[in-house]
Amino acid sequence: MNIQDNYQKNKKNIFFSGNKDIQSHREKLINIFETDRFDRKNNESLKNINLKKFIEFKYKYLVPEETSVINNNQDNSYSIVSVNGQCSSFKDDKIEITKILDEDYNDFSKNNTIEKNDHFVNLNSLFLNSGFKIVIKKNNNIKIKISNIVTDDNLTIFQKNNYICEEGSSLSLIEEYENKNNSTSNILNVINLENNSKLNHFLIQDNSSNHNLIITSHSSCKKDSTYTQKVYNFSEGYVRNFHYSELIEINSEADLQGIFFLKDNNTSNNKTFVKHLAEDCKSNQVYKGILNDRAKATYFSNTYVNQVAQKTEGYQLSKGILLSDNASYFSKPELKIYADDVKCSHGSTIGPIDENAVFYLRSRGMSKIAATKILISSFINEELSSINDDLMSETIQKKLVRYLSKVK
Amino acid sequence: MFLEIKDLSVKIENKNILNGLNLNINKGEVHAIMGPNGCGKSTLANVLAGKEDYEILNGKINFKDNDLFDLNIEERAQEGMFLAFQYPVEIPGVNITPFLHSAINSKRKRMNEEEIDNLSFAKLLKSKASDLDINIDMLKRSVNTGFSGGEKKRYEILQMSILNPDLAILDETDSGLDIDALKIVTEGVNRLKTKNNSFLIITHYQKLLDYIKPDHVHVMVNGSIVKSGGSEIAAEIEKDGFQKFQ
Repeated sequence: MNIQDNYQKNKKNIFFSGNKDIQSHREKLINIFETDRFDRKNNESLKNINLKKFIEFKYKYLVPEETSVINNNQDNSYSIVSVNGQCSSFKDDKIEITKILDEDYNDFSKNNTIEKNDHFVNLNSLFLNSGFKIVIKKNNNIKIKISNIVTDDNLTIFQKNNYICEEGSSLSLIEEYENKNNSTSNILNVINLENNSKLNHFLIQDNSSNHNLIITSHSSCKKDSTYTQKVYNFSEGYVRNFHYSELIEINSEADLQGIFFLKDNNTSNNKTFVKHLAEDCKSNQVYKGILNDRAKATYFSNTYVNQVAQKTEGYQLSKGILLSDNASYFSKPELKIYADDVKCSHGSTIGPIDENAVFYLRSRGMSKIAATKILISSFINEELSSINDDLMSETIQKKLVRYLSKVK
Repeated sequence: MFLEIKDLSVKIENKNILNGLNLNINKGEVHAIMGPNGCGKSTLANVLAGKEDYEILNGKINFKDNDLFDLNIEERAQEGMFLAFQYPVEIPGVNITPFLHSAINSKRKRMNEEEIDNLSFAKLLKSKASDLDINIDMLKRSVNTGFSGGEKKRYEILQMSILNPDLAILDETDSGLDIDALKIVTEGVNRLKTKNNSFLIITHYQKLLDYIKPDHVHVMVNGSIVKSGGSEIAAEIEKDGFQKFQ
């Protein structure tokens, strides 16, 4: 079924279909799909994917019967079960959770940083059927864990979330994606950090091979705020992690880190785009991949430094280990610098495991497989040892051990 | 015979490196091989340790009644062979202590000996490190990472003293060491020497052999041993160089 027919047929189930402005925006999006020639060479959102599978999909959505928010007052933590992209409303003196509204949609559609030719983002806007907004109130320090559950086979979740960290607040956000059913989650997160706020955002992705996960996020940092994103992708199904970050006021910071563990025929597409738009801001992007069998990955890393963004520090690094001759990892770091007083660097190293290191370890009595595993663990040791949450560290270690058990 | 190398010829990337090399080492002996740059000394060390980059064209090696070519790299190590690397590899993220603990236990397992527990290993490591004047803080670091040239060599000898090999091959362990470090390292080697183990020392210079007294000295040129004898050969080389052997 083509996009137009699919949209018309399911319009009544899609969020804000009664809003004329939104409807008009969606008509434009349909037009893009009908006229776009899907330039795979230049459009980063189209690399390594079977686009037909995502465009000619069968729309199916189920409104969840139950979702939950549990508040533990003792340690300022909240556990949220988001079902099919939806979450119950909740309010206390520290946070407020609501459904997204028409005006939030309009904020998303006016966002100029997220690329207009990103077909997954456009599909998300077109078929939006879920999402929530979480506000962390001023000067509160809290922890939220969100378990993202998809309940049935063949569901197509199109979800927009909005996170707002008010002035002086601090949020540790752990999101888990561990779905086993044959479905697709297409999620857009928009994150606003007010002055002197902080968000540590962890995404643990461990879906089965028939689950597709597409995450696009956008963070905007005001004065003295810091956004940290750490993605651990153990999924056996397709995962896309694109993050756009804007440092819009002085002394703000974005720290983006991703590690992916791929095998079989799996693919992961990754992209980071950091815009330095004010003085004295810092960004750091580190993406590491371990790829086995016929797995494929891409990583597009961009740092843009506006002419007003003096004293910028912007660093990019990507590293990959290819455990098989048939695995591939394409990395493209880019820096565009228009200010003259900056410290920026980029680097990329991809290759097979260091045979000299394997020989060294084996010469001390370690088996080849044990040496390979210890070198894989050491490759990501710095990132894993920086996890300061014991439970999460243990979770990641277990998933790593499971991945390594398949390395022969 | 402890180690018997018969008519060994080896090549790498279409270049012959070892050409019909013969060498016999008995239990309890210290042998030194001296030779000019590029004569094949390190290739011999690597072939003995099992590095897979080389093509064996001819020859046989027996080690403790085993055909060495039947053993892979780790089996050779577990059987008691140890190579102190000329250029020890830096492995960031692999902590020294658990690595060495795992190495010693893999050897014990093959020998059907009981594995050494954490506490006993920590004591052993501390005592051996102290003998080599290695700071305990260094043992908290990653393997060879951020070490100076001298520290790397000292750490190789520490590994050797922990693993207590039957045959230790020291590939230019003296390079990059100042005189004080050379003394500490050679004392470490001498401390390990017993009538049951053997050493093969590869070096350019006589200096190392002033501290570790070899029973036999061999001159290696173009991938073969061209002369064998006692310590007097080392003195001869120190005086006249390698030219007369070429």
